[in-house]
Amino acid sequence: MALLKCCFDPGEVAEMFDTLYQNDPGCCCGCCSAFRPRYKRLVDSIFPVYPQDGLVKSNMEKLTFYSLSSPEKTDRIGEYLYQRAARDIYRKKYGFVIIAMEAMDQLLLACHAPTLNLFVESFLKMVQKLLETTEPDLQILATQSFVKFANIEEDTPSYHRRYDFFVSKFSAMCHSGDSKEIRDKIRTAGIKGLQAVVRKTVSDDLVENIWEPVHMDKIVPSLLFNMQDSSFHKDQRIADDVQEDGTDPPMLAETCMRELVGRASFGHIRVVLRPVLRHFDLHKLWVPNEFAIHTFRIIMFSIQAQYSYTVVEILMAHLDENVKSSATIRTSIAEVLSKIIAIAAGESVGPTVLEIINSLLNHLRDSVKNGTCQADEKQYQEALINALGEFANHLPDYQKIEIMMFIMSKIPFPLVDNQTPADNMLQSILLKSLLKVGTKYQTIHLNTTFPVSFLEPLLRMSLAPDPEMRLLVQKILHTLIDRHGNLEKLSKLALNIADLDLNIEKSSRPDLIFINKHGPIIYDALYTSLQMDSNTPENIEAVYTTLALLCVELNSTETVIDLLQLLLGIQSLALSSTALSAAQKFNLHTLVIGLLVLIPDVVNIQPLSDYAKRLVEARKEEAPHCLPDMLSHYPGECEPANKIPHLLVDQMAVCDYLKASGIDSSRLSQTSPYGAGGPGVIAGSQRHSWMETSARGSIMEIQSVHEVDSAASSPGLARKMPEEDLTFESMKKVLTEPIEVRKEAEAERRKQISQAFRTATFSELVRRTQPKHDILQNRLNEIFKSLSVTDAGNVEEPKGTQIPTYEQNFPELFYY
Amino acid sequence: MDDYKFLFKVVLVGNAGVGKTCLVRRFTQGLFPPGQGATIGVDFMIKTVDVGNEKVKLQIWDTAGQERFRSITQSYYRSAHALILVYDISCQPTFDCLPDWLREIEEYASSKVLRVLVGNKIDRDDREIPIQVGEEFAERHNMYFLETSAKESDNVERLFMQIAEDLMKQARMTNVPRYDPNSYNVDSSSQESSCCSRLT
Ligand SMILES: Nc1nc2c(ncn2[C@@H]2O[C@H](COP(=O)(O)OP(=O)(O)OP(=O)(O)O)[C@@H](O)[C@H]2O)c(=O)[nH]1
Ligand SMILES: [Mg+2]
Repeated sequence: MALLKCCFDPGEVAEMFDTLYQNDPGCCCGCCSAFRPRYKRLVDSIFPVYPQDGLVKSNMEKLTFYSLSSPEKTDRIGEYLYQRAARDIYRKKYGFVIIAMEAMDQLLLACHAPTLNLFVESFLKMVQKLLETTEPDLQILATQSFVKFANIEEDTPSYHRRYDFFVSKFSAMCHSGDSKEIRDKIRTAGIKGLQAVVRKTVSDDLVENIWEPVHMDKIVPSLLFNMQDSSFHKDQRIADDVQEDGTDPPMLAETCMRELVGRASFGHIRVVLRPVLRHFDLHKLWVPNEFAIHTFRIIMFSIQAQYSYTVVEILMAHLDENVKSSATIRTSIAEVLSKIIAIAAGESVGPTVLEIINSLLNHLRDSVKNGTCQADEKQYQEALINALGEFANHLPDYQKIEIMMFIMSKIPFPLVDNQTPADNMLQSILLKSLLKVGTKYQTIHLNTTFPVSFLEPLLRMSLAPDPEMRLLVQKILHTLIDRHGNLEKLSKLALNIADLDLNIEKSSRPDLIFINKHGPIIYDALYTSLQMDSNTPENIEAVYTTLALLCVELNSTETVIDLLQLLLGIQSLALSSTALSAAQKFNLHTLVIGLLVLIPDVVNIQPLSDYAKRLVEARKEEAPHCLPDMLSHYPGECEPANKIPHLLVDQMAVCDYLKASGIDSSRLSQTSPYGAGGPGVIAGSQRHSWMETSARGSIMEIQSVHEVDSAASSPGLARKMPEEDLTFESMKKVLTEPIEVRKEAEAERRKQISQAFRTATFSELVRRTQPKHDILQNRLNEIFKSLSVTDAGNVEEPKGTQIPTYEQNFPELFYY
Repeated sequence: MDDYKFLFKVVLVGNAGVGKTCLVRRFTQGLFPPGQGATIGVDFMIKTVDVGNEKVKLQIWDTAGQERFRSITQSYYRSAHALILVYDISCQPTFDCLPDWLREIEEYASSKVLRVLVGNKIDRDDREIPIQVGEEFAERHNMYFLETSAKESDNVERLFMQIAEDLMKQARMTNVPRYDPNSYNVDSSSQESSCCSRLT
């Protein structure tokens, strides 16, 4: 009976791990070796008398041969080896334990698939048994055996097998707190063990779903814990470590992490990343964030590319969860985001892109709401903006435009939306974001860069009450207009154009079409922005740069006329404005001369160029304050420009020099759509065309005013073209119609109007426009009152010049 | 020898420095380690004990109390059959944190887990938490309660033995699962009933 029990012990049936119940192995051997079955005798024979002699190799060969020839015995051999090892562990005869494990290893490798299954159970029991000891050497040995096992392909994996213990134990080993030398060995073993578990289970979910949180929550922090040690590990032990194994715990953990992340499918990403984020939170690894950046880059580079944006999303969501955390932490997270977001950009498509952008913008908005002024919060916002820029940088250009439009749509409009300090802040931050994206965008054709739906709001924003905001808009324009790297050279107003070494190309047809279409509203917005009395020299210089870039990019005689017209308009503004300060006027004169020098140089009109140079020379003598640099304060003795008419740009002279160069200057000599020079009905309506498209808030009211205004202001002329009704729709039509047709009709109308103005006296004009004008005036006053604009006063008192009253009103509209 | 019939997983939690590691080592190795350093992550020990005439193997996971290891330590709660929540009777803050620990246990452990509250270091004469306060807290939260000293070996053996006995009783009551290769959730099915009697 005892014999029977020895041989056919029910306990030899494979056992589950972690089970509560185990059959009695009832080992009673040792006393009856004569009756022992052959396999037991073979097993016994592999053990030497003294453990230090090691495995008896010849007998081991016999055992292997036996198990190969009688595969049905393999599982019993395994079980018996396990029993022996368990007994030896109990007796602390570790030398024999090591031999038993070695034998197990050899059998495992020698045996073939079908017989392996039951043997593996004993094998793993043995591994577990060794791992349960407090002996580092046995634990390391067991891990090595486990790794060997994991590398074996099993034909029929055992579905009831569980790796719970191994994950738990290997993870614990990864945190070994033993004394130094042992610690690293144990940790290395732990990491290798985890790597092996992952390899073993990852391919077949039926075996064990390693992606369960219960496993990942152990594996991931264990790897990170070892990775984060890398810095101090490295300086302490460079030499001895490399020899050992070729890897140290941090390196190994990193490799394992890459492998794990690389194998993660879409559904697993969150399970992997959740413990990562928690680990960083708990170990306070966001600040400083070197390690976080390092880790997330590893993740981004290992993860299957199509999922990389999920990482971004998850990190962004984590930012959400950290709303209450300090700005420093949020900044750090955002910086991590900015470091990895580019990697995701290449793979992101469609809605994801906008979602990411939207989420970033929302974070910005929240940040603005929370604390507007702390330096930390500012840094956080910077980090977010950088992330946005980084992201956009790696998107294809058409998506950048989309993004710019998207950002534009998120900007609260001055005085339209409620203007709180937070709104202001948000505006400027969003503009900064826009600038960031714009900087990464490379314009090829202006018309693709500036679709109307982008250009219009941008220009509207260029008239924001806050000078800093206006400056930002100009900078956005700069970066988008500049295609030939001239921005740097033109960012300061200079008179020595030749020295600038500008990069100039003949402009393309699409560009010319673009400027023909949109030139008026662009020039007009620029002109209007120059009327702002809050302009700093920086603002004015920025407008110069915009115009200079336009001149260079749209290098053609046609644009020259437009620009000169504008230039003259600006000069009259500087002469006649009552709102602008003396310094601002000097700045404007400086801008004018700057353009006058630049334009003929770019398009090569020598006589005009000479004229400009003469003016510059003269100003140097008599009015250096009308030359660069632009200042915000000038000495009191500076003579106002209207006292030195010979130093101003003379319209007639300009026309003559153009003619002399064979350029048709008739448009320039006729009328100016700007300021005091002419009637500007066309310009007026064009100027507002982009205002009218705004469907937001009180702008709607103003629009209706424009309607009144357009109808009333042209004195007694049949100013409507047959097909035209001055609505936005009609303007759109105007813009889309063939340009030649429009041009002719326009010129005709201009002529009529200017005729009327030239012939009629001012009082007559006033009379002719008066009745309806009153209505307009009242309406305007109402609106201005409701908008409580500081400059509303200007509207109420028409000036005693020959400027038609209505003409004055237009600019004011732009003060809202 | 490896001839246990039952295997139970016991997890120790509680603030850093309350003496978790000392309790485990006192129990498994019979010593009070001088200058025991803080646990990093998780530590592991086993001990096989006799309950009645059955062998019961206790797999003891000793977690780090430091906050920064919370993410890894929590992941060990789930498979636990018994959770030992330890505080230091001479350190009020470790007692004050108990509700936080309970919340964590609630969130991460099985609802059927056997929960034991342990006030450690009773050898110290600067007690801050009276025994009744600990008792009451345990009662209110449906836990066993015991006061121990890892240093003097007071109640340590008793603590683990009671847990082993109780878990075995539970396992027996719920029909010890027979070996069945097709089911691998033996652990949780053995945890049907939970008791709330007190060990003391
Ligand atoms: N007087 C006394 N001191 C104890 C007792 N148990 C532990 N200590 C001391 O308390 C300190 C912390 O003990 P540990 O066992 O390391 O505490 P722990 O709960 O494991 O701490 P962490 O691993 O950091 O979570 C050590 O200095 C021990 O000597 C006890 O029963 N009595
Ligand atoms: Mg400890």
